[in-house]
Amino acid sequence: MDPVNPWLDPSEVRHLAEQLLRPVAPARLSAADPGFDASFIGFTSGGVATVLPKPPEPPTPAPLQNAPQPPAVPAIPQVMKPIGQPAISAPPIPASAPVSPPSPEPPSPPPSRTRFLQRVHIFRDWLTKNFQATDIFILDREGKVIFDESGHGRLHFMARNLAIASRGSGNIHVKIGPAAILEVIPCETPYGRIVLGALMPDALPADHIHTITEVLIQTASPA
Amino acid sequence: MISIAISSQKGGVGKTTLSINLAHAFARAGLNTLLVDADPQGSVGLSLTRQSRLLSGFYDFLADPGLPMERLIVPTRLETFSLVAAGQASDYEAGNGSSGSHLARVRAFLRNAAARRYDICLIDTAAGLFGVTNDIISSADAIIIPQQAEPLGIRSVPKLLEGLNRLRIINPRLNVLGVCLTMIQHGLAESTEAASALRQLLPEEMLFQATIPRDEIFIRASAKGLPVGVLENAKGAETVFDSLRAEVQTKLARSRAAATYQPH
Repeated sequence: MDPVNPWLDPSEVRHLAEQLLRPVAPARLSAADPGFDASFIGFTSGGVATVLPKPPEPPTPAPLQNAPQPPAVPAIPQVMKPIGQPAISAPPIPASAPVSPPSPEPPSPPPSRTRFLQRVHIFRDWLTKNFQATDIFILDREGKVIFDESGHGRLHFMARNLAIASRGSGNIHVKIGPAAILEVIPCETPYGRIVLGALMPDALPADHIHTITEVLIQTASPA
Repeated sequence: MISIAISSQKGGVGKTTLSINLAHAFARAGLNTLLVDADPQGSVGLSLTRQSRLLSGFYDFLADPGLPMERLIVPTRLETFSLVAAGQASDYEAGNGSSGSHLARVRAFLRNAAARRYDICLIDTAAGLFGVTNDIISSADAIIIPQQAEPLGIRSVPKLLEGLNRLRIINPRLNVLGVCLTMIQHGLAESTEAASALRQLLPEEMLFQATIPRDEIFIRASAKGLPVGVLENAKGAETVFDSLRAEVQTKLARSRAAATYQPH
C-alpha cells in the first residue's frame, strides 16, 4: 500500500509548492494600511529618517521660559528652496484645511500650504533644539500623517492608539528603548485635534508639555 | 546578512541537528555565522553549551528591549561561529505567544545581528507554524524545511505549504530554499519509499539534493556537545553538510540574480 498518497492530493500539494517557488509581487503601498494615507510607506526596518529640506534661515526659537511666542515666518520664496525637491514627505495640511488637495508632482505648492509647512519646520527645529526631540511627527484628527521625519509607521500607530486611549487626559509617554521615550501630546487646534509624537531621551515634566502644547497650537493655527 | 529560518511542521525531524551542522559548515567555509536557538526547548544550547540554561538568549531579547545584543552572543572555538541560546524567558513562550506580537523585536534582533557583520544567521525555530516561529519566518530572508523521511511526517507537508503561502503574504521576500530530507534510513523500506514519494510530489527545485541520513554519529556528536564535523571519522557527515551548504549558497545566488534580472 502506498504510505503517502492516499492521505494527500498530489495536484494540490504540487500547486502549493509551485506557488512558493514563484516570487510574490510586492504589495502596492499606496493604500497599504487602514488609517494611513498615501504617504504610508510600510513598516520600515529601522533607523530610517525622511530627509526634509530645511528653511534656509531658521528663526530664533521661542525660549522655554517665555513661551509661547509664535515663531517668525520667513518669506514664502525662501521656503520653496531648494527647487525640485518635495517640501515634505507627508500630506502637508490638516485634513480640514481649506486648500486644494496635493497633486502628484506639485511644482509650487499654494501659499497657505507653504506657510503651514514653514511653521511646522520652525516648530520642529525649536522642539529639537530645546528638548533633544527626534523622529518628530504630527497626526491629524483622523490619525493621518501631516508631518513626519521618523519614517516609522509603527510609531504613528502607537501614538494614534495612545492618543485614543488617553482621550481627554492630556499627554502620555511610553518607554520604547533604553534611552528613548515616545512622547505623545494630543492637542486641540483650530483645525481639530492633532497628535504630536516625538522621541525624547527622558519623559517631559508637565510645564514643558504645557509649553510645547501652546507652541503647537500656534503652529497649527491659521496665520 | 542573510537570515535563514530552519522550520518544520512536526517536531523531532532533525531540525536542530541540521541547524547546528549547517551553521558549522558555513562557519568552516569562512562565513561569519550566527546560530540562534529560537526553540523554547533550547536544543541548540543543550547540544552545544553546558551552561546554556544560565545564559540570556533570544527570548530574553524579545521580552526585554533594554537587553544589549552583546550579552547574548556566545563565541565558540571557531572564530567565525557564534551562538545565541534560547534564554531564560523561553519557558513561558512555549507556544503561547500569538503571531505578530513579537514581530518588531524579532526584526530588531535581525537588524542587530546584521549590524554586527554576520554573513549568515541561522535560526532554529520551534516546530509548527505559530507564535514566535511565525514572526521569525515573517522576518527572515529565507527558510529551509527539514522533513523526516517517514510517512506520517510527509502527510503533514500540505499543511506546512499552506502555512508558508500564508506567511509569504506578510513576508513576500521570503525565499523558500526547499525541503531537506532528514533521518533517512536506507535499510528501511518505509523510509526510502516515503522519501521517494516526496520527490514525486514536489517540484525538483523544491527539494535539496543533499539528504541527512539517520546515523549514530549525530548522537555521538550531541553527547559531546559538538557539531558532527569536529568528530573523528566524521568526514562523511561533514561532506553531507558541506553539500547542503553549497546548495543553499547556489539557491541564494540564483534568487539574487533573479531578483535583479530585468527583462527587456
